Amino acid sequence: MSKKLIELKHIKKSFGDLTVLDDFNLYINENEFITLLGPSGCGKTTCLRLIGGFESPDEGSIVFDGKIINDLEPNQREINTCFQKYALFPHLNVFDNVAFGLRIKKVPKAEIEDRVKSTLKLVKLEGYSNRMVSTLSGGQQQRVAIARAIINRPKVLLLDEPLGALDLKLRQEMQYELKEMQRQLGITFIYVTHDQEEALTMSDIIVIMNEGNILQIGSPEDIYNEPKNRFVAQFIGESNIFDGTMVDDYLVKFCGREFKCVDKGFEENEPVDVVIRPEDFDFVPPSKAKIVGVVDSLIFKGVHYEINIIVDGHEYTIHTTRYREIGDKVGLVVEPQNIHIMKKEIKQ
Amino acid sequence: MRRLRPYSIPYFIWMAIFVLVPTILLLFLAFSDLNLYRLSAFEFRFSNFTIFSEPFIQRALFNSFFYALIVTLISFLVGYPVAFYITTLQEKKKKFLIALLILPLWTNMLVRLTAWERIFSANSIFSDVFGLQIPILGTELAVVIGLLAMYLPFMIFPIFSVLDKLDTKLIEASKDLGASDTQTFLRVIFPLSLGGVVSGFIMTFLPSLTTFALPEVLGWRKVPMIGMEIQKKFILEGLQPFSINQGALISILIMLFSIASFVLITKVDKEGETLI
Repeated sequence: MSKKLIELKHIKKSFGDLTVLDDFNLYINENEFITLLGPSGCGKTTCLRLIGGFESPDEGSIVFDGKIINDLEPNQREINTCFQKYALFPHLNVFDNVAFGLRIKKVPKAEIEDRVKSTLKLVKLEGYSNRMVSTLSGGQQQRVAIARAIINRPKVLLLDEPLGALDLKLRQEMQYELKEMQRQLGITFIYVTHDQEEALTMSDIIVIMNEGNILQIGSPEDIYNEPKNRFVAQFIGESNIFDGTMVDDYLVKFCGREFKCVDKGFEENEPVDVVIRPEDFDFVPPSKAKIVGVVDSLIFKGVHYEINIIVDGHEYTIHTTRYREIGDKVGLVVEPQNIHIMKKEIKQ
Repeated sequence: MRRLRPYSIPYFIWMAIFVLVPTILLLFLAFSDLNLYRLSAFEFRFSNFTIFSEPFIQRALFNSFFYALIVTLISFLVGYPVAFYITTLQEKKKKFLIALLILPLWTNMLVRLTAWERIFSANSIFSDVFGLQIPILGTELAVVIGLLAMYLPFMIFPIFSVLDKLDTKLIEASKDLGASDTQTFLRVIFPLSLGGVVSGFIMTFLPSLTTFALPEVLGWRKVPMIGMEIQKKFILEGLQPFSINQGALISILIMLFSIASFVLITKVDKEGETLI
């Protein structure tokens, strides 16, 4: 079990009348790639700014390496940040941007030279030392921002939607590189994004947030396969979500039919949310199927087709590699372990 | 937009008549011994340069440069912190303070000079109200204080406009990388405000250098400055030989400074964001 590096305890933070975080608790282990994932306004960036020292909590404490750091300025924390729009210094060239932190710490010149060189190599920007940052592409600026932060060998690197401004191809490349860098450096990465794909690809741990609350913490697999509630299911990946009731242990009813499932411990006839991932359906001949419907629409998505099937007025979304004509009558089955049952959220 | 073009022509004609033609005339006059009415007999000569060997002109040139420099430096030392402070305020207070800086500029300069003249006189409404006598009219001090009062805002505005647009994320980034407030100022904020500082220097230095009403009113003509001398040379046209030729030559020297300043501004401030 790894060591707790950062703890947020009972944090409250308001901006004017707006309370962003209230009694917020989270701990982050050493050497982890943790992602705070949620829609805009969910408090994830505030959380990051609290750790970085750019905001201070109204209540509660921030513990870093066993010490309360509420009152430490950002420059006194062993934490560096990779800002959303990079915030590179426009009056400095690439070398001077990257060397900024070391010069502040009065590191000897020769050592600065060496470390900048090797850091630029790490982010694949060798030979760019003398370029002004304004002449670089978005992806290159992004790398300078990362180099500028990690050269200080922080214990934690905060990343605030660092890939938001890049195009899809570059974003995917950078996702891979960031993950690789985190492994090599052994630094804790705290990553903030609203992009679920980014979160799934890179993270060891994902923290799903909404309206200042943590809805679920877990590995990408856990969160994808066992979303705790309707919101998480909708936010992570695509889902078919049905209103259902638990008839008995291991038996759920939705869309007018009863299905075997692997969940138990609900009250009799308790209303539940039923979540089925689009790729978990299989086609069978209509005669052998419990669910029979008609293909309503079909979109080619590259690896798979996305097919909408209407079953007794309910719409099912299915991902499959097999082609079906619009208007075809199809039968569907779903394995019991792929039917995810969730308690209804109590509306406040 | 093309259709708007004809409407801009009157002003271009205006500029040609009142800027371009006079400048060319100045050049003709400066490098000849002609008066204005015999331009056709132009002959290139440097005889007017002897004016720069006259002690009175040298004194006036020195004074102008010296006072302009002092005023610019004091304006910078006083103005930078003011500009910086205003950027840290909320929008409403910011606007209020900027308005306080701008409002006096909407009063005619001669009116403001007259006010300062009263303040610097013995027995004025100022000395009555405050019980304070500052009878320094006709001294260098009066001229320098007067110049500061006139041109300090022109140092503050460009610096303010650059600092106000400075991305606060850059300051956060600097602190994030371990820099203290002082280090952040020296390594990030000040270097990034240099464009505004250069604009401020020029917008304070040039008018201070060329002013002529101010040394007349506050200096009682006892403190020679070059603007005053140029004016004198042109007034003496026809009464003193070659006076307008000499005046033209000094004007051109001063004009060279304006052009150099303009080139400098366009270099440091490519978008022209610091010019108001």
